[in-house]
Amino acid sequence: MAEQSLRRLRRIGSDEKFLGPLEAAVMERLWKRGTATVRDVVEDLGRTRALAYTTVMTIMTRLHTKGLLERSRDGKTYVYRPACSREEHRERLSRDLVRGLVDEFGEVALAQFVAELDGVDAAHRAALRKLAKADGRAAR
Amino acid sequence: MLRADRAFGLLVLLALVSSAILIALLATLVPRVELLVERGAEEAGDLVAILLLGLATLGITLGLSSLFRQLLATLVLIRSLLARRVAVPARVDAAARGLGLDGRIDIVDHIRPFSFCYWFVRPRICLSTALVGRLDHEELRAVLFHERYHLRHRDPLRLVIARYFAAGLYVVPVVEDLVAHFTLEKELEADEDAVAAMGDIRPLARALYALLPDADDVDLGLLAPVGSLSVTEARIDHLVEGTPLAARIPVTSIALSFGALAAASILAATPGMLVAPASLLFVAAISGGVHQVRLVVQR
Repeated sequence: MAEQSLRRLRRIGSDEKFLGPLEAAVMERLWKRGTATVRDVVEDLGRTRALAYTTVMTIMTRLHTKGLLERSRDGKTYVYRPACSREEHRERLSRDLVRGLVDEFGEVALAQFVAELDGVDAAHRAALRKLAKADGRAAR
Repeated sequence: MLRADRAFGLLVLLALVSSAILIALLATLVPRVELLVERGAEEAGDLVAILLLGLATLGITLGLSSLFRQLLATLVLIRSLLARRVAVPARVDAAARGLGLDGRIDIVDHIRPFSFCYWFVRPRICLSTALVGRLDHEELRAVLFHERYHLRHRDPLRLVIARYFAAGLYVVPVVEDLVAHFTLEKELEADEDAVAAMGDIRPLARALYALLPDADDVDLGLLAPVGSLSVTEARIDHLVEGTPLAARIPVTSIALSFGALAAASILAATPGMLVAPASLLFVAAISGGVHQVRLVVQR
């Protein structure tokens, strides 16, 4: 049951899940090409689907606002490039999610070994260290 | 002492009884509301009926919203982490030997050390490569024993159910207190299980210590009993002192909850919408509702 559901979930690309299908497609092109103008991306994506120039421009402006694309002017045209590599992007997503797991454990239905890592004061820390380093067999 | 199973059982029993009373009350509201639609509001009882219907709608919305948010948050997180799944290292295989966890462990490549039990029908255990790298054989085995307790008791499922009831039954605030108690108690029992299985408290203590972030841990002397301990702090107290945890359920919460249920029973059994019992129900609803809405906003 869990395996089947997880397999179904895996079919959705992780970038697509967090970026939206069109945003993910644009990022994909940028990661492949390195740099591109809106026109370049429209032509690339136009091979598989019909997209208006303004639609792609809106998506790329949004990705720039989100900090995923950087841009510089070349005459009257903006040239875009990814602000981070695909791997860095996934790492960041994953790190944010795990941070979320710790911070917002209230919403995630998991039984976690250490739920709130930062919520331990110095006295408890010291007591735990003493217990961890106790000599002899410390069975109760 | 209210242990995890008993806390969960009491929670479900109270939730079912409360639901039955509130559904009975809702059933008496339906003909009244139909009448209201035909002729409009004429007396105080009509206003009470409208307000009660509002409370019921809020309860259903909060319950379903809690269920949806929990499932979505869990699915998104699990999906993201499992995209980074790697083969189970020989060290983990060795630590899990004889624990009955064959095929139930996932290892994900991640720089943060974490482990948890997830999924609802046939739960699994997820460990990060950072956690595996940071713990020795004994510590790893202690963590697996801890997680095995959650797996055997289907704690992720119990957590979803408990939170669903707490959100939906916000007019019975003691349900939320029982959820908090259950959440803590299951961790203490999982620790006890691990210590008993290892025959030594130190591997679990070392594992917990190894996973705390680096910070000053100057010994400040005896542990001071604090009213609002974090779950990890309460676990440390329990490991150090071995004393059972007393259930801390506020008297006001119990009084409000039973007052609200008594009021709902009277309203369901009486033909007219009596203002006095309805007022008590509204007080409990405001108290529990504010708390639940605050939880939604915070999350």
